[in-house]
Amino acid sequence: MKLKRDQLTGAALVILGIVVFLMTTTFSIPITAAYPGPRMLPTIAAFGFVVCGLGIFAEGTMSKKEEKVFLVKEGWVRVLLTLAVIAAYIAGMTVVGYLIATPVILYVLTTMFAKGSQTSVKGRVIFSVAVAAIIYVIYVYAFGLTLPGGMLFG
Amino acid sequence: MFEYIPYIMSQIVQPFNLVLLFAATVIGLVFGAIPGLSGTLAVMLFMPLTYSMQAGPAVIFLIALWVGGCSGSFIGSVLLGIPGSASSVATCWDGYPMAQSGKAGKALAIGMVASFLGTFFSALFAALLSQKIADVAFAMGPWEYFSLCFVAITMVLAISKGNMFKGLASAAIGLLFASVGFSPIDAEARFVFDNMYLMSGLGMTVVLIGIFGVARIVEEYGKGFGALPDVDTKSIKGLGITIAEIVAQGVNIIRSFLIGLGIGFLPGMGAGLSNLVAYSSAKNASKTPEQFGHGCPDGIWASEVSNNAAIGGSMIPMAALGIPGDSTTALLIGALTIHGLEMGPMVFKNSGNVVYLMFATVMVCALVVLVLQALGMRVFPLILKVPYHYMYPALIIISFVSAYVDSSSLYKCGMMLVFVIIGILMSYGGLPTAPLILAFILGPTLESNMLKSFQYSGTAATFFTRPISCVFMVVGIACVFSPVIRMVLEKAKGKKAPA
Repeated sequence: MKLKRDQLTGAALVILGIVVFLMTTTFSIPITAAYPGPRMLPTIAAFGFVVCGLGIFAEGTMSKKEEKVFLVKEGWVRVLLTLAVIAAYIAGMTVVGYLIATPVILYVLTTMFAKGSQTSVKGRVIFSVAVAAIIYVIYVYAFGLTLPGGMLFG
Repeated sequence: MFEYIPYIMSQIVQPFNLVLLFAATVIGLVFGAIPGLSGTLAVMLFMPLTYSMQAGPAVIFLIALWVGGCSGSFIGSVLLGIPGSASSVATCWDGYPMAQSGKAGKALAIGMVASFLGTFFSALFAALLSQKIADVAFAMGPWEYFSLCFVAITMVLAISKGNMFKGLASAAIGLLFASVGFSPIDAEARFVFDNMYLMSGLGMTVVLIGIFGVARIVEEYGKGFGALPDVDTKSIKGLGITIAEIVAQGVNIIRSFLIGLGIGFLPGMGAGLSNLVAYSSAKNASKTPEQFGHGCPDGIWASEVSNNAAIGGSMIPMAALGIPGDSTTALLIGALTIHGLEMGPMVFKNSGNVVYLMFATVMVCALVVLVLQALGMRVFPLILKVPYHYMYPALIIISFVSAYVDSSSLYKCGMMLVFVIIGILMSYGGLPTAPLILAFILGPTLESNMLKSFQYSGTAATFFTRPISCVFMVVGIACVFSPVIRMVLEKAKGKKAPA
């Protein structure tokens, strides 16, 4: 039997609620009637997760409406690929810094996002370098902020 | 008050001060419009420039940055679907759909007129009533602040009408995020996993831009980009809206203005909350609530009038009590202290001229912003002409750079990536983002006031024995059960109808 999205969401929330509640039990100050202490807010959240999770699960189970597809398989691939590129960007900034990582990632993202559109390699390269440079000038020279220099150059 | 008019005029008409005012307003507008930057950041970055100035020019410069930032934040919301700051989150919900359907000019026109009305008249109210209204805040304790936060969160659940469980779950996620770091009062480390970056809590930039901004871009790419929208700039005449349209929104404007003024004046709560509450109220009061979220002008009016009305509202406790209404006014209090202005009840006696110069500057800035935005209104929609494959990568980079400059740490970039994934998963589960954002922003205020209340009275009963607090609590509880109450009422109506 294939689980509905709401059923999955509900189950995930219930599990999250239990985990959060268990974590709150490790806090040193207990909840008392006279003073709820630091456990109260996360406990409310945990309680909310469990109650809402059960509610969403029940609603999903009882609902006879057909669920709309959130993303097709190719869509999920595109999402995961984008997340991987962003993760690579963060790693890249850590190692080689903003000035090298940003134009490269901008070019990669522009190429990915432009699939099916009419763009030239030259145009994407110019765009990637120009945007990276403009952001750098604004943040570093205009506002005096620092951007990652990278382990190799910083 | 009127005895200060000659001083105010002498300050504002000085060429140097006028240049400062225009320059700061433009900088503020740019900071407000770009997601990740904000008027608060502008005030923070340019504050050192005022150290060598006299009090008058310093006040003009800082206030202009603030007003420009607040007034510019709707531009990003309308054109990009990413709020320039938390104060215009609700503007996205209708502003962006309007822009996508080719009515960007109209949405911008509403935003600029609404911003002007909210800013100008709230400053006027602040100037006329500040001392009297501040007395009310004196009477409020942590019980009232807690119950007010509670009402604010539960009211936004109305936005997720028909999805009570999902709305509540989203709010619970927000509360969980707000719990990360050292707890208020007791300083208990919660969910920090011995990680020093988590000890000060989750940054608003990281959570807000991650869930609300980058996640949406990634998801849209997953779904496949549609064709670029046609932007209708030729049909914009004058301000793009008529007097009749403004008059038709009279009730909505007045209600949103009062919400913004009221919330703005409460310490710790500003435009970030007022726009959500005003939007929710406008939706609840509307005869066509189903149009909200699909490009309904009423939503933009409500959000933009209220967030700008919070400017005047937050100036009241700042000037009269020395208590910041929001993070920007907290910065301003610090900056003005350097110029010998100790905010609080005595400031009206010791430096009344400078205090009223603040109010006057806000009103002048509101006019300047209106003129600047009206002149540039035909240019703004052109941003939408930029192809997605160019605009979205640039936005992703700006978002991650914003996360980095938030604390000069790449760790924050990694955290933002986590929130991007959370945003996508929430969207997959159909969980709305608004309750999360509100609960996250209000969580610390809610918790610290709850703990203070118990410290003072040692019982939860006090929340119901204090009249103002009791009213808020009852309203909040009614809001939680409002979907059930509404369902019962609708069923009762349905049964009556055939008879």
